[in-house]
Amino acid sequence: MKLTAVQQDALIELLNIGFGRAAASLSQLTGHRVLLAVPEVSVHPVENLSSMLSTVISGDVASVHQIFAGPVAGDALLILDQSGAAMLNELLTNEPSLPLSLDASAREVLTEVGNILLNACLGTFGNLLKVQVSFSVPHLSLEKLGLILSSLRVNQVGMQYALVVHAGFRLRDAEVHGYLVVVLSVPSLDRLLRAVEVWEQTQH
Amino acid sequence: MAAVNQSPGDILGLAAGRWFEELDDRGVFITDEHLVVRRWNAWLAAQTGNSAQEMIGQRIFDLYPALVERGIDTYYREALAGESRILSERFHKFLLPITRNFHGVGQTDMAQSARIEPLTADGKVVGTITLIEDVTERVITERELRAQIAASEQARRFAEDTSRLKDEFLATLSHEIRTPLNAVIGWTRMLRTPEAVRSPAHALDAIERNALSQMRLVEDLLDMSRIISGKLQLKVETIAVADVVQSALDVIMPAAAAKKITIETVFEPGTTEISGDADRLQQVAWNLLSNSVKFTPPGGRVRIEVARQAGDVRLTVSDTGQGIAREFLPFVFDRFRQADASASRRQGGLGLGLALVRQIVELHGGSVGVESAGAHSGTTFWVTLPIRSAAKPTEDEPPSMPTPATLSGVNILIVDDDSDARELLVAMLENFGATARAVDSAAAALAILNDESADRFRTHVLISDLGLPDTDGLTLLRQVRQAASELVRKMPAIAVTAYATPEDRVRALVAGYQHHIPKPVDGNVLASVIAHLVAAK
Repeated sequence: MKLTAVQQDALIELLNIGFGRAAASLSQLTGHRVLLAVPEVSVHPVENLSSMLSTVISGDVASVHQIFAGPVAGDALLILDQSGAAMLNELLTNEPSLPLSLDASAREVLTEVGNILLNACLGTFGNLLKVQVSFSVPHLSLEKLGLILSSLRVNQVGMQYALVVHAGFRLRDAEVHGYLVVVLSVPSLDRLLRAVEVWEQTQH
Repeated sequence: MAAVNQSPGDILGLAAGRWFEELDDRGVFITDEHLVVRRWNAWLAAQTGNSAQEMIGQRIFDLYPALVERGIDTYYREALAGESRILSERFHKFLLPITRNFHGVGQTDMAQSARIEPLTADGKVVGTITLIEDVTERVITERELRAQIAASEQARRFAEDTSRLKDEFLATLSHEIRTPLNAVIGWTRMLRTPEAVRSPAHALDAIERNALSQMRLVEDLLDMSRIISGKLQLKVETIAVADVVQSALDVIMPAAAAKKITIETVFEPGTTEISGDADRLQQVAWNLLSNSVKFTPPGGRVRIEVARQAGDVRLTVSDTGQGIAREFLPFVFDRFRQADASASRRQGGLGLGLALVRQIVELHGGSVGVESAGAHSGTTFWVTLPIRSAAKPTEDEPPSMPTPATLSGVNILIVDDDSDARELLVAMLENFGATARAVDSAAAALAILNDESADRFRTHVLISDLGLPDTDGLTLLRQVRQAASELVRKMPAIAVTAYATPEDRVRALVAGYQHHIPKPVDGNVLASVIAHLVAAK
């Protein structure tokens, strides 16, 4: 499955609204000007996710995972490699990170950052679809990428697709890259993409 | 259970009731969809001092208006729209202001992490639930861990720095040794073919100059190695600092004259006498002066001042030279440090001169310092040396060929905690005709010295070990020098000890010993020193 040019543009535009909201929250929280780069988005079958992401992120990763439920349901994750995660924490809090496994405060900061970004993006989708989506409490884990991805597919039936969004955090003259992954069932994705197309037409 | 609306259909009660009371290690409160508090657990009541009765039925923002000012009302609105929110301690510090008494820290604001979640029933948000965790301990532990990591990081950097400095030093050393050798070897070979040398005298001058420069370098290196290994012995005598500086000045004058540098001297009239090693202090003065002359451009000025200041003599050398960058100032007296260690540097040298200055001055119990307003604003070095009011140490080195001394009629009190050492000293001194009495502690020695009875042992000379149990030899002598009896106060004293470093020697002399003789002791040396002391009385 491949996004059409129209779907792609519309998704980027929509995600940008979510990114803007998240960046504003982060700026307000940290007192630094935080920018999120214009998102890049692609769609992949879930079984290809591992090979696709391992070309850009490797080793142990930090991921913030939230489950969302409602008329549209699935998994949402923010994935950063561990050095990127530590750097993001340092940039946001102005404090040196300890190794993340020892630094509960840093893990909490990353959880809140993931929470803000995931809520902002999923909230935007929810508004678009005019449905109420509820979110689980975010959960952070430090593990190998493969382990994190395989945990998504437990108890899942039917074809699953992943929306992969590149997210670049920019603050204090530095940049940290991460990936937002939204795993959806085929019906959920169809519904989202149709709504996106309709929305795109009303914009012009 | 807290007094809440318990009507059978109360969705809030059903949703949360089961596990609500079990959480006694964290705060939990529940609001309805109007953000009115419906439950407030015992932990929160205990920590905030607000009971459930007081809180239930009120809007959370009426109870804590600061939540709105801090923008947290948004989080509650989002929770009512179905979003779960994490509030990290790092970003928010706390949710509700709570003061707690923390062991070792005292009263402190409780650090909190919190989460705010929608409370749903049948897919519909009916309220919010807030969990608050006290993370004060965690925050303190992490802060300590961070400080430890920073400290070990600093130690690592220091070690790397030291090893890099040593490498740089070796590179400089190799360069500094080769340069004069090159001249010496080159000119010597040229002299073998006289027709190639227009002026043999000039060649010989160059060879001599370079050989002397190399000698200076080797001496500096050896001095530094002696100081590091504690083998540098000071020949302490009474010296006038002004005289020492003048001799150093005589050596440096030709170099200053060659650069047309004006040298101004201000020697405060009156005594600037101290106890010290004249050669070593001349080396200090020479190093400071030659440093100033080296870094002052032709036509500049160098000013030397010797003055008394409180209990010290202060030597100040200031120049109109290139100055020292602020960031290098703290390292000026460090071994191997040069502001410019690059191959393109303009000045030669090993960077040992100022390190030697500091070491020698510190051996004398003094201190060194440097001030510079920065590059191109000149530099001022200063040295302070303490004026000793203690009994004047006399010529320390005994005559090289000690005349067999006779000590008949001399009563000697020996203090040493080691019985073999006591026996040896007694036998040694009795050989020379002295009467010797030995005790094993400072207290026993003081008892004999302060004895006023008619049949007392009239001590003429005191010999003491420095390492003694209870009261050491330094303290003993300080007490002797403060004794009621003038005879005891002025008692000649010799430290005979295995504490043999220059620092130990200085300490002994400062405490008031006239001599410091390291073990093992040569009987002839000891006898002649005693004979000198008795004769000088």
